[in-house]
Amino acid sequence: MIKLLEKLPPTECPKFLHRVVDGVCGRDPPRLGDYGNTWSLTEWMELLDGLSSFFRFTVGRKCSEEEVQVSLVDLSGGHLEAVLACLKARGEELRQALVERTNAVSSAQLQDFDWQIKLALSSDKISSLQMALLSLSLDVKQGGVLKPLSLELDRHELQTLITSLEAANKVVLQLK
Amino acid sequence: MEEVDRILIHSLRQTGTEIGEDVESVKQFSSELIVEAVVRCLRVIDPPLGNGLPPSLPPGMSARFRLGMSLAQACQDLGYKGEIGYQTFLYSSKSALLQQAIAAQIKAQLALPWVPPACRLPLLCQTQSAGVSDAFRSLALSLPPTQGLGKPPVKEVADYCRDFLPPVTAQPSQHASVPASLLERHALELSAAQEWENEWNSQGLLTRLSPEVPPDLTPLNKPIWTHGTPRSRKGWARLRKRIEEQLRSASQARPSAQHAPRTGPDPDLTQLLQAFGGATPGGDVLAKGTRFTHTEKFTFTQEPEPSGQQMAVASVMPSSRQSEEALLAQQQDELQALQQQLQQLALRTEGVCGDIKQLTVSITQVSDEVKRRELGNSEKEDSVRVKKQTIDLLPDAENNLAKLQTLVESSAKRVVSLASQWEKHRAPLIEEHRRLKELCSNRELQSSRKLSEIKDLHDKIRQSADEAKKKEGLHKQLVTEFENLPKDVSRSAYTQRILEIVGNIRKQKEEITKILSDTKELQKEINSLTGKLDRTFAVTDELVFKDAKRDESVRKSYKYLAALHENCTQLIQTIEDTGTIMREIRDLEEQIETENGKKTVSNLEKILEDYKAIRQENSALAAKIREA
Repeated sequence: MIKLLEKLPPTECPKFLHRVVDGVCGRDPPRLGDYGNTWSLTEWMELLDGLSSFFRFTVGRKCSEEEVQVSLVDLSGGHLEAVLACLKARGEELRQALVERTNAVSSAQLQDFDWQIKLALSSDKISSLQMALLSLSLDVKQGGVLKPLSLELDRHELQTLITSLEAANKVVLQLK
Repeated sequence: MEEVDRILIHSLRQTGTEIGEDVESVKQFSSELIVEAVVRCLRVIDPPLGNGLPPSLPPGMSARFRLGMSLAQACQDLGYKGEIGYQTFLYSSKSALLQQAIAAQIKAQLALPWVPPACRLPLLCQTQSAGVSDAFRSLALSLPPTQGLGKPPVKEVADYCRDFLPPVTAQPSQHASVPASLLERHALELSAAQEWENEWNSQGLLTRLSPEVPPDLTPLNKPIWTHGTPRSRKGWARLRKRIEEQLRSASQARPSAQHAPRTGPDPDLTQLLQAFGGATPGGDVLAKGTRFTHTEKFTFTQEPEPSGQQMAVASVMPSSRQSEEALLAQQQDELQALQQQLQQLALRTEGVCGDIKQLTVSITQVSDEVKRRELGNSEKEDSVRVKKQTIDLLPDAENNLAKLQTLVESSAKRVVSLASQWEKHRAPLIEEHRRLKELCSNRELQSSRKLSEIKDLHDKIRQSADEAKKKEGLHKQLVTEFENLPKDVSRSAYTQRILEIVGNIRKQKEEITKILSDTKELQKEINSLTGKLDRTFAVTDELVFKDAKRDESVRKSYKYLAALHENCTQLIQTIEDTGTIMREIRDLEEQIETENGKKTVSNLEKILEDYKAIRQENSALAAKIREA
């Protein structure tokens, strides 16, 4: 599959490879539109999958340079060099991304959160309410799908949430 | 009424109408202001409708009339039930305008449904809070690693940073997540540094951290994990031990609980356990483990050595004490002899060193001489060879000359062909050279352009920083102003006032019902009295009429009775008539009052003026048409 890489001239190889690594690390992968003249769609998918899994495998297994060379023995010199250079330059970043993936094996994971504080002046029943409300939006990743959650908490609910989170943090600290 | 006016003016200002500071009640509104306020309200309620109307009065009278008509139509479309027309806007009276404006405001607030913040459109954000227009989404950014002090950068990493790494602002696909990502990254580094500092301060040397530089703070992608990363070796060991304990207890608990042959996960678990167990004593699988065990070994193996030495010293001790003096003398003799020997040897070595220097100098001289001689030799050999060849060639001179000439010619040809070949090669090379030069200059141009851009950007950054400072100052000023402003416009006061008014109204209503019941009773009484009167009159009339035929005086009295009855009915009729007339008079007075309140006279004057203006316009237009 990685043999398909030889369709690209070796000078443009590093750029493409770095974009693929970006994709593995969670940013934008390269687009077919930019390389549409070089590969067909099926080739593109195969190549992208192959390269991604190759990077993950080599970094995950901590392969030495010789092992990588052996696994890429059918690739021509310039391309092989480009792959090796890319692997050497981005190894640490890839490792971080893999650690992050491993860390996300649990069923649901908090990805991002944002909050806003609001003051409710009155309701349909009470003319003067003056109650502070916190609207908390959580982005939870569950099975690879990002799910937005929107909560509105008053003072006591927020207090219970914070105490439970603090208890969780205490457990983590004890584990260390 | 004044408070209502103030609320109204405040909300009108919020919708964007420019109302002067001196205007304090709706009475003071000019026609222009009214039209502007109504158009702004309409824009809030129904943007497509409102945007079609100009917020200011046009100069022409007919255009004004048309605007007034369209405004009235728009208000009626929106559900305003009262009477409204162009005159409402152009020749205003206070109460009508007030009703109009209040209805418009309430409609504006109620027309918009409440929606969750994620679904809010920009239209809704005008009246409801803007919510989060861009969600807080962070991505992992790729940044060049910070260099340690002594470490040279890895070549590949440096290449990547120079040639392929896009600027931070271009890394996330959505522009909105740039600040989020940067914030996230910063928080991450901060928490990592804090964690490190905590550990260093609390446990110090025990953790075996390197004290001078914080461990390369390459933070992991999420703070949760960084938080849980034990930085010290000791922390690792502790963590591993804990995990091992957990796994072991889990693997023991399972078979005892099930009493069944081992199922799926158990062999894996024991394997894992074995891997852990292998790592800790052997120290081959994990790098961290080896380091740990090395230190362990080191600390344990060092101890036996000194103890062995001590033992040896202890065994020598007793025997040396017996012949101490003799041994000392012997040792001193030996020492002297050895020192003498040392001095002699030093002298000899000095001599030998001098010899060696002389010899090396002479060797270099001789080798030079040899080289020179060899060169002369080879020159002579060459000349001898040439001479010998010429001598050999002499006997057959002509033939050899011809041969030589052909040889010379062929070599000349070869030179020419080589030159042409060289030219062939040279041309593309020169082209390439030129091309590269051009490329180089292009690059230089580009780089200079980029430099200037960067300078511009710097300038801009400085400017915007200045601006930001200025704006902050302004903000502070405004905040202080805001705090100084009186805050008497409070909602509870309004509600209280409204409640009071409602109570008053209720009291008045009760009074009205009382009066009504009184009137009803009166009516009833009147009715019964009239009935009684009628009946009595009929009876008397009959009685008197019977007697009237017989007696003259009775006939007279009958006549009187009839006259009396007639007069009384007339009297009652007159009284009723006066009552109705009085009522009518009161109604008319009220009407006059209301008409007076509507500024009728001034409005009529205005209308007259406007009518004249329209006539003038019309005549002017007619004149234009005639001219055309």
